[in-house]
Amino acid sequence: MIDGFNFAYLDEATKRMIRRTILKAICIPGYQCPFGGREMPLAYGWGTGGIQVTASIIGMNDTLKVIDQGADDTTNAISIKNFFKKVCKIKTTEVTENATIIQTRHRIPEKKLSEHQILVYQVPQPEPLRRLEPKEQETRKLHAYEEYALMHVKLYEEISHYGSVIKTYAYPVRTNRRYITDPSPTPKFDNPKMDFMEALQLFGAGRERRIYAIPPYTSVKSLDFEDHPFEIQTWDERCDICGSNNSYLDEIIVNDKGEKKFICSDTNYCEKNIKT
Amino acid sequence: MIIKDKILEVKNLTHYYGEQVGCEDISFDLYQGEILGIVGESGSGKSTLLKCLSGQISPSQGIINFCIDQNQPLQDLCKISEQKKRALMRKEWGIVQQNPRDGLRLRVSAGGNIAERIINEEIKNYSNIRHKALDWMDKTEMEKSRIDDFPLNFSGGMQQRLQISKILSSNPKLVYMDEPTGGLDVSVQAKLLDTITIIVRDLNVSMIIVSHDLAVVKFLTDKLLVMKSGMVVESGLTDRVLDDPQHSYTQLLTSSILQV
Ligand SMILES: Nc1ncnc2c1ncn2[C@@H]1O[C@H](COP(=O)(O)OP(=O)(O)O)[C@@H](O)[C@H]1O
Ligand SMILES: [Mg+2]
Ligand SMILES: [Zn+2]
Repeated sequence: MIDGFNFAYLDEATKRMIRRTILKAICIPGYQCPFGGREMPLAYGWGTGGIQVTASIIGMNDTLKVIDQGADDTTNAISIKNFFKKVCKIKTTEVTENATIIQTRHRIPEKKLSEHQILVYQVPQPEPLRRLEPKEQETRKLHAYEEYALMHVKLYEEISHYGSVIKTYAYPVRTNRRYITDPSPTPKFDNPKMDFMEALQLFGAGRERRIYAIPPYTSVKSLDFEDHPFEIQTWDERCDICGSNNSYLDEIIVNDKGEKKFICSDTNYCEKNIKT
Repeated sequence: MIIKDKILEVKNLTHYYGEQVGCEDISFDLYQGEILGIVGESGSGKSTLLKCLSGQISPSQGIINFCIDQNQPLQDLCKISEQKKRALMRKEWGIVQQNPRDGLRLRVSAGGNIAERIINEEIKNYSNIRHKALDWMDKTEMEKSRIDDFPLNFSGGMQQRLQISKILSSNPKLVYMDEPTGGLDVSVQAKLLDTITIIVRDLNVSMIIVSHDLAVVKFLTDKLLVMKSGMVVESGLTDRVLDDPQHSYTQLLTSSILQV
C-alpha cells in the first residue's frame, strides 16, 4: 500500500492468523496461545511480539501511544512509534487518554484506562513457571491440570530466606481464577491496575511465539499468603518534578556526589500533574 | 476381628520391555496399614513391579485396582485420566526414590521441599505451612534449625529423611519405597530404618517396600513377596515365609542370613 509495504507492514493473511490467535486468547483469559510469529525488522527483545499484535489490530483511525519504562521519549518507544507512522500513516500521541492503542514495555499508565482502549504488552518471557520447571511439556501440563503448588513454593522460599516476597516485577498473577499469568516485565506496583481493568490487555511474546490476553473486567489477583499479603511498592519521597506521592517513581542520580532524586516514571502523567 | 479396608488389588500384572520380561503374572492384595516387602535378587523385577503399581510405567497386561475413595469400589488405574493419576501421585501416593536427589528439588530449601506437598492441600497461610514442615522434620529426626538449608548440603541419610518428610507430609494412603537405604552406610541405614518403622506404624499408612536385605524386611514388613526372574515364587506373612520357606529359592535366600 505505501511504498511496497502492506498497511501495518504484515501481510493480510498473517494479520488474520494473529487475530485468530488473539480471539482465542481472549476466550481463555491468561492462557498462552502459540502463534506463527513472523520475523520483524528488529531484533527479538525489542518488542517484536508487541509489534505483531499491534500491527494486527491497528486500523486507519487508531491513535497510537508507545511507552518504554513509562516514558514516551525513549529511543525504543520513538522508533516503534515511527515504524507505525511509516507503515500505517496513523496518528500518534503521548497523551494517555487520547490513545486508542497503547503499546508498552514495563509500565501501565498511571491514568485509568477506558473501554475504548487496548493495552499491548511486549513480553520477553511469557511462562511464569519457566524458572521453576525448565521442560515445556511439563509446564503445559502444570497449567492444564492447575498444578500450581510450585509457584507458592517460590513465594515460600522468598519469605523464608528474606522475610518477605522480594520479587518486585513480573510478579505472578492468577487470571480469572484460573491460569497463572506473568505480567512481565511490569513492576508489581502496576498489578492492581490489571484487576478488572476496563481496557482489553493483550500480551505478545515474539521470541517464544505466544500471545495471551486479559479481557476487560476480568479478575487478576497477585499470588500471596494470607499472613504475607501482596503489597505494592511505596516511596517516602515525592516526585521531584510534579510532587506526586502516588505514582511509580524512578530513582535517578543527579550529580557526581551520588545525590538522588525521584521522578515519575510515567512522563505524560508527570507533565499533566505540573499543569494542574 | 477388625475388618480392614482393601486399598490395592493386583491381578496378573505383567510388564515387558520389548521382548525382555520385567515382571510376570503377579497378583496380591494390600489392606489399609499393611506393610508389604518385596525381596529378590538384582534383576528379578522388583523395581518394575513398583513402577507399574505407582503409575510410573503402564503395565503390558493385568489389572491394578486402587481405593481412591473409601465409599466407592476400587478403581482401575489403567483407566483413570492422567490428571487424576498425577493428583494421586501428589497426594495419595508417596514414591520414595532410592536416590533422594531424584525425589527432591535441590535448589529449593528443605522446608520448601516439604511445603510443596502441603501447599497442594492448603495454600493460604505461610506460618501454618512452615509449622507443618517443622513438625515433619521433627518426626523424621532432622535438626529443625536446618529448615532453610538446601538439600545438597545434607548428608545422604539426611537427604533421605527429608525425602520421607516430604512424601509423608501430604498424609498419603500408600507409600512406595525402592531400597530407601540402598546407598547409605550400614550404621546410617539402621537408624533410618528405625525412624521409618516408627513413623509408618504410628501413621498407620500402608507401604510397599523393596529391599534385597532380608534383615530389613523381617524387621519392618507384615507380608512378603519373593521374586525371581520376574515372577513371584513365594508369598505370605513375613514371619511364615522367613521361618518356614517353601520354595527352594527362598530357602537359599534365608539360609544365607538367618544363621548369622
Ligand atoms: N528400562 C528397561 N529397559 C529394558 N529392560 C529393563 C529396563 N528396566 C529393567 N529391565 C529389565 O527388567 C528386568 C527386571 O529389572 P528390575 O525391575 O530393575 O529388577 P530389580 O529391581 O529387581 O533389580 C531385568 O532383566 C532388567 O534388565
Ligand atoms: Mg531395582
Ligand atoms: Zn512527577
